[in-house]
Amino acid sequence: MQADLTEVDDLEPLFDYRRVQPHNLVFFDDDDTPPIPCPKRTKVLNPAVGKKVGVDVKELEVVNCEEEDEEEEEEEDWLPPPPKVLVQKQLVEDSAIRELRLKKQELVSFAKSADDVIRAVEESVKRKLDSPMPAALEAESEKVSMPAIERAKIVVSIQDKGGLKQFRVYADDKFERLFKMYADKVKLDQQNLVFCFDGDKIGPEATPASLEMEDNDIIEVHTKKT
Amino acid sequence: MSGGIARGRLAEERKSWRKNHPHGFVAKPETLPDGSVNLMVWHCTIPGKAGTDWEGGFFPLTLHFSEDYPSKPPKCKFPQGFFHPNVYPSGTVCLSILNEDNGWRPAITVKQILVGIQDLLDQPNPADPAQTEGYHLFIQDAAEYKRRVRQQAKQYPALL
Repeated sequence: MQADLTEVDDLEPLFDYRRVQPHNLVFFDDDDTPPIPCPKRTKVLNPAVGKKVGVDVKELEVVNCEEEDEEEEEEEDWLPPPPKVLVQKQLVEDSAIRELRLKKQELVSFAKSADDVIRAVEESVKRKLDSPMPAALEAESEKVSMPAIERAKIVVSIQDKGGLKQFRVYADDKFERLFKMYADKVKLDQQNLVFCFDGDKIGPEATPASLEMEDNDIIEVHTKKT
Repeated sequence: MSGGIARGRLAEERKSWRKNHPHGFVAKPETLPDGSVNLMVWHCTIPGKAGTDWEGGFFPLTLHFSEDYPSKPPKCKFPQGFFHPNVYPSGTVCLSILNEDNGWRPAITVKQILVGIQDLLDQPNPADPAQTEGYHLFIQDAAEYKRRVRQQAKQYPALL
């Protein structure tokens, strides 16, 4: 039990075992003493289900048997059918019809309530659609227009002997722009700077995309010795 | 068998190198004529350390990885005849961390290998000579040794 409880504490966020545990405990008790819980269950089940279906079926079956018996009696014993049986039959039919009527009424009321619910939902949906429609449309139009403008960007690290500087550029933008930006930033003449990727000099016409660069890839800067 | 492990590790090494490596170093797997990449052979460049006689040189080094990498270290080769007491005439580097039976550990990265070899350039290990010329000059003729090192640095200028 103690072990179970600790496990429950550990797994609480995933599944609440407290709801399951009491049932399990009851079942274990039942297994030890089967005669006690079993009758209880049948007693509980029979009145609930039997009232509606089980009893009716039994009565009808009984009536059918009696009818067959009556016919046999009529033919063989040439005696008129006992009026009591007819009365019983009518009574049985009446009770069945009553139940059918009640069920029909129930179904009709269900249908009505269902209609009401559907109408209410439709109305609320209509109201919702009427008010936030313009906003939703705007959001959709923004989503459509944004990708058209957006170009793939990439973060490129430029490394000199001192350290790294990161630049966010368009993947299809020529490096000459980034080189000029960098030269301005470090206040050096671009003519004296050599940019390399993987040991190869980067031409001004190249782009991050053309060199198949990935985010945070390093470009090295070397200063020409003249 | 273990080729998948070697290639997987090398792919990771390459990925991390692209994002972070010391300035002046180059390390990239070789590209075959058909455009495919061979992760088992890397072409590298080790810059001579600033402030040493090796400064200004960018020394080409090739790493040959086996299918047993990283259980076994890669073979690291400078060009044939490279002048250094701890480099065999074939160009193979003799260094404790590159010795399977000595200092190699599977956790050593490509970056650590290259930085380790850069350190070795200016700090030869006279206890473990691999070539006669470099070793003898280092032991007997410091001035000539210095001259030869500076000369070699000029032989391998920056490829820019």
